[in-house]
Amino acid sequence: MMNKTSPLEKAVMAILIVLAITFFMMPVFWLVTTAFKFGREAFAIPPKWLFFDFTLRNFQEVLATSKTGQFILNSIIISTGATVLSLVLGVPAGYAIARSNSRLLNLSAYFFLLLLMVPPVAMLIPFYLIMRDIHLLGSYAALIILDTVFDAAFVVWMMRSYFADVPKEIEEAAFVDGASHFSAFLRIALPLSIPGVVAAALYVIIYSWNDFLFALMLTSPQTKTIPLGILSSFSSVEVSWGKMAVMCLFAIAPALIISLFLNRYFVQGVTMGATKG
Amino acid sequence: MVNSSNQPTTKRRHWVASVRRIYRGDGPYWAMLLPLLVFVVVVAIYPLLFSFRISLFKYRLTDPDQVQTFIGLSNYLRAFLDPAVLNAIKVTLVYVAGTVIVELVLGLGLASLLASEMRMTRTIRAFLLIPMALPPLVVGLVWKSLYNADFGVIPYYLKQIGIGVGRGPLAELGWAMPAVILIDVWQWAPLMMIIFLAGLKSLPVEPYEAAYADGATRWDRFAFITLPLLKPTILLALLLRTMQSFKVFDTIYATTGGGPGSVTTVLNFHIYTVGMTFFDMGYAAALANILMVIIAVLSIVYIMLLERQQL
Repeated sequence: MMNKTSPLEKAVMAILIVLAITFFMMPVFWLVTTAFKFGREAFAIPPKWLFFDFTLRNFQEVLATSKTGQFILNSIIISTGATVLSLVLGVPAGYAIARSNSRLLNLSAYFFLLLLMVPPVAMLIPFYLIMRDIHLLGSYAALIILDTVFDAAFVVWMMRSYFADVPKEIEEAAFVDGASHFSAFLRIALPLSIPGVVAAALYVIIYSWNDFLFALMLTSPQTKTIPLGILSSFSSVEVSWGKMAVMCLFAIAPALIISLFLNRYFVQGVTMGATKG
Repeated sequence: MVNSSNQPTTKRRHWVASVRRIYRGDGPYWAMLLPLLVFVVVVAIYPLLFSFRISLFKYRLTDPDQVQTFIGLSNYLRAFLDPAVLNAIKVTLVYVAGTVIVELVLGLGLASLLASEMRMTRTIRAFLLIPMALPPLVVGLVWKSLYNADFGVIPYYLKQIGIGVGRGPLAELGWAMPAVILIDVWQWAPLMMIIFLAGLKSLPVEPYEAAYADGATRWDRFAFITLPLLKPTILLALLLRTMQSFKVFDTIYATTGGGPGSVTTVLNFHIYTVGMTFFDMGYAAALANILMVIIAVLSIVYIMLLERQQL
């Protein structure tokens, strides 16, 4: 704003920015290009960054031979289920905590914060045993439910601070007109808070889609999600980085779309979850 | 005596009245919270209590008849004498401290570099968001191949500048820990950056104007204005990243599997091995509860520091 930047400072900053981009983008660039390199081309030494034999053979082979389609479908089912369930449970709860004057209700927000701090493995061990006893191991439901515990806790914590910033006055006017609390929530507060809901939803989609530990213990061969699919396809057979890269591309597609095209919402989700007490 | 016999009834009446008041005014709000509360009690609180119960038992899934023998606190005592656990705690602390400190410094640096609202910096920031949105397992696999001793990019360039890494960074005792810390830094330093960018935006302009009038240098302004004002944000970012760093699993699983030896076996990974590879459920539950207590104590310390900041 008011600092005069000397040419030297400008040059140093430019160099640092280039270094940062190189460091953070190099692995992603490597992954994307490897998907288009077939066979030995992928591990050529010295590495071929730009000039390599561009081919779609990896895509053809992965789609033809592996169960990638099923893994992707499973990932979609599970992350959609967890997202819908955690929004349905979490958004009204966040609204209730933000609007109520009850101290007990307000304090319950911290209960959900504490829940977010529980290490996943501490939840996973008993959950695995319980799911085994009620014969739900390997079902979509088991994974959706466990994902939703953490996802919904996040949604409450985030939506609480979002609703707190939405002015109460319109709702109060609606009360005067005889509206119930539920219709004030559904017809007034919720439509005003769609950007917040979108931010929470994106965050939850990413986290259920990326989950590996829960899926590792709770899925069966029929319900494997894409991260597990990547591992199982390449642990037994000979390693082919090219094909692995193709499957990884499918696994990172939502992350790429959300961080590049919906980044405003994504940033909001991350910072609101983190910074607003 | 009269007083003490009287007190419970007034207390009770008070309690009943306040329940009634809560219910009358906030009934609809409780109704909105209730579905989630029921859900969480059934699928989170019950399992956690169940976990405490099995931690008091000797319970191995590999036993043919799967007997559960009550052994009191023996699993907890065993943990404090178990060299593998003590090592895992040490490894975890090194990992958490290493990742969080490097990410803090790098995050601050990135945030100050990319704070301007030009089109270019906005685009660069969007690209820097990619790592933290990626599945950690994929991140692990990608870095594993970058680190590969035979055809990995990183050992190749290290060799070019005269640094040999033998069997690759992930397989050498001295390199493995820095190598996995670097992966975490790559993925999560951008998260620190966006938290700090949000913090920087909310800082007041006046101190900077005054400092500028006094002829303070860029560094002075950063060290004496930005950093102190940013302290609550920094603590929050530290809290968030410390909690997450304690829970690392996927990248360790994908890269070193805890090795070489056990130099990267963090506690979280060790618990997984005890529970899901050796099926020693009672002991694994006890270890998981110990991890939960460590995390809880640390968060309380952070939150107390934060509260003091905001006063």
